[in-house]
Amino acid sequence: MKPLAPAFLGIALWTMPYAAMAEAPLIAAASVLKFALEDIAQVYQDETDQDLRIVYGSSGNFAAQIREGAPFDLFLAADEDFILSLAKDGLTRDEGVIYASGRLVMLTPKDGKLAPSEDLSTLQAALENGTIGRFAIASPVHAPYGMRAKEVLEHVGLWDRIEAHLVFGENVSQATQFAVSGSTDGGIVAYALALAPEIKSQSDYALIPADWHAPLNQRMALLADASAEAQAIFEYLQGDVAKEIFASYGFGLPEVK
Amino acid sequence: MTLSVRLKADLPIALDLSFEVKAGEMLALVGPSGSGKSTVLRSIAGLFHPAQSEVTANGASWSGLPTHQRRVGMVFQSYALFPHLTTLGNISIALKETGEARTIEARRLLKLVGLSDVANRLPAELSGGQQQRVAIARALARKPDVLLLDEPFSAVDRPTREILYKEIEALRSELSMPVILVTHDMDEAQRLADRMAVIDKGRLVCQGSLAEVALDPRAMRVLGLRETGAVLTARVKAQETDGLTRLEHPAGVLFVPQIREEIGTEVKLRLLAHDVMLASQRPSEISALNVIEGTVLSITPGDGPGAMVRLDAGGEILLARITRRSVAALGLNEGSKCFAVLKSLAIARDRVHR
Amino acid sequence: MDWQALRLSLLLASLTVVILVPIAIFSGRRLALSKRKSLPIIEAMIALPLVLPPTVLGFYLLSAFGRSSPLGQIWQSVFGHTLAFSFEGLLLASIIVNIPFAVQPIQRGFEAVPQELREAAACSGMSPLMSLWKIELPLAWPAVLTGAVLTFAHTLGEFGVVLMVGGAIPGETKTIAISIYDKVQSFNSSSAAQMSAVLLAVSITTITLTFLMSRKIGRRLS
Repeated sequence: MKPLAPAFLGIALWTMPYAAMAEAPLIAAASVLKFALEDIAQVYQDETDQDLRIVYGSSGNFAAQIREGAPFDLFLAADEDFILSLAKDGLTRDEGVIYASGRLVMLTPKDGKLAPSEDLSTLQAALENGTIGRFAIASPVHAPYGMRAKEVLEHVGLWDRIEAHLVFGENVSQATQFAVSGSTDGGIVAYALALAPEIKSQSDYALIPADWHAPLNQRMALLADASAEAQAIFEYLQGDVAKEIFASYGFGLPEVK
Repeated sequence: MTLSVRLKADLPIALDLSFEVKAGEMLALVGPSGSGKSTVLRSIAGLFHPAQSEVTANGASWSGLPTHQRRVGMVFQSYALFPHLTTLGNISIALKETGEARTIEARRLLKLVGLSDVANRLPAELSGGQQQRVAIARALARKPDVLLLDEPFSAVDRPTREILYKEIEALRSELSMPVILVTHDMDEAQRLADRMAVIDKGRLVCQGSLAEVALDPRAMRVLGLRETGAVLTARVKAQETDGLTRLEHPAGVLFVPQIREEIGTEVKLRLLAHDVMLASQRPSEISALNVIEGTVLSITPGDGPGAMVRLDAGGEILLARITRRSVAALGLNEGSKCFAVLKSLAIARDRVHR
Repeated sequence: MDWQALRLSLLLASLTVVILVPIAIFSGRRLALSKRKSLPIIEAMIALPLVLPPTVLGFYLLSAFGRSSPLGQIWQSVFGHTLAFSFEGLLLASIIVNIPFAVQPIQRGFEAVPQELREAAACSGMSPLMSLWKIELPLAWPAVLTGAVLTFAHTLGEFGVVLMVGGAIPGETKTIAISIYDKVQSFNSSSAAQMSAVLLAVSITTITLTFLMSRKIGRRLS
């Protein structure tokens, strides 16, 4: 027992200071923002010395958690509806702002048997030949990019036939992972993620026409009791530096109001 | 310091009895298995709670007191020594004293039971007999108002049992409290105890001195005819050269296999009824050395071929179990004079003692 | 390497053990000695977290202390923040979910102590508490250790319940298991691999050390 007691004590003391981090603003961000927001946060931290705590996930999940009282300060959703719904119930300060708009791509692994196509013709062909295996999209229930992917597939009349082959990611980032991993033949995922270096190196993509689905106007809002530090980052995300980074990841930018 | 017990219960085992044990007295509680002997002990200790229980020890009522507040010393059939404590530790843990005084007292008890040289051994390293002695020392460490022994010798072999009997006898001076010994062994009861109580189906069939109980027909029924016998008192007269001891009894001379007692010592002999033969005339040219004169007091025929004959032998009662045919053939009746015949070797050493 | 998440996980596991094990000792002993007819039902309830999917557990826990529950609201009014999505909420969930891992081995340990020893302890003047401390625990301690180790290891690996009740908040509820999941989702396999290896090493070390210790002392007893 002798050497263990001081070891445990040491570990105990080391774990204690976790509480000190509690002041940094807590941001809920749709998983599509994974790379873009990390870049922005890095710049922000360098500029202001302010730490940020960011959690990535599906917008629907976050909305549910916020309703359960999750202590987020700022919520960046992948569309508008979730934010507006929360605003209606008084959980956010106001209806927030649109900070970017997203696009969908058809994504396939680099050495896969399926090639991407803007009009999904290759996908259609594979379906008709019976050579299609599994195909990934985000959850059409609580991930905006998943909902739009479903609209796209319905638009070209492939939904009924492809449904049985679909694999659903918990959020669009997981869907992208499935699409790239080789265990599927590809997927319909976010443009922003397809542009990230880690993904780009392993896959090919084709941009899907924006009018094939409802727009992905991504809205963000401060939560009801957000801190001043959260307000600061909220402002920053609407500034030029942030906009440039969003643009580099293929996000459309809101027109100046 | 008298112990007074009154118990009544229906479930899970039927009990209805009351008895008393005086200070320094050892009561043997005998009976067949399932008769409730262990339950009686457990009730006294507070480990079992019958529907009605009145136990008074040393003037204080124990009813309602939890076991650990009763000053009871209990020696379990399987010793129940604490396996993670040494011999000394097992004894010390039951002591009220602390510090220096505790060690001194623990060592004293250890010496009392002759285990000083195994003080630091664990129970697993001790023999059965040694473990038993630790259990006894631990029970005594409690300075109990009552000492309870639950078939303490049943798990031990005969030679070790002999040694333990002697130890108990030596300890009697230390045992100033009432002691109850539960056993199914009549010889053991007779050897160690002052009084006996026979229990059957939760009720006391009879109680009294050993001689009284040995002759009681109710006890006979419970304990079985094979165990039935009488106790005679005789005096050691001489140690013979051929391995026999000569005893003198008002009804005749008795020879028994050699017992190590001084000349003039009074000893008791337990004679089983079925070892006793009867003759209407003094037999001669016969191997049996022991012939005692007696007068028939009563003859009780059994259900089978046997009959129990009660004799007055020199003022003491003797029992003989013979066939009814022989009773008739010998013409025995109340008042008949006859001779009881016993083989010397039939009187086993463990049935002769002070 | 997400040190913060590792620290959080170790803290969560340690606190769960420290709080749960004493509770498990008392209840395990009580259950071992119980002669109640309702014992099988109680044991089944204790075993529930073993068989329920973590999502079901998470769901019920969230109902029990989420924002709209009585407990959640009391907490909120006293501490100013929700019980769910906080470290305290996670700790509470962890304690509840680990009950069978702690109680079952400890209960078996106490059941293995012969009743006669307890009786002998009582006859030797020891109150039930003294008997627990001086006789039963020294004999049943390997079982207590097993319960502690199982609880610790299980907490380190707990994922489903943590995700539902905790919300993966860095520094607060983002445990190392969740961090690994996150890294995989971020296509950061090297980081995920690194952390998985650390978790594996910690688990193996803890368990091996424990078993070594228990054999050593077990030998001393027998």
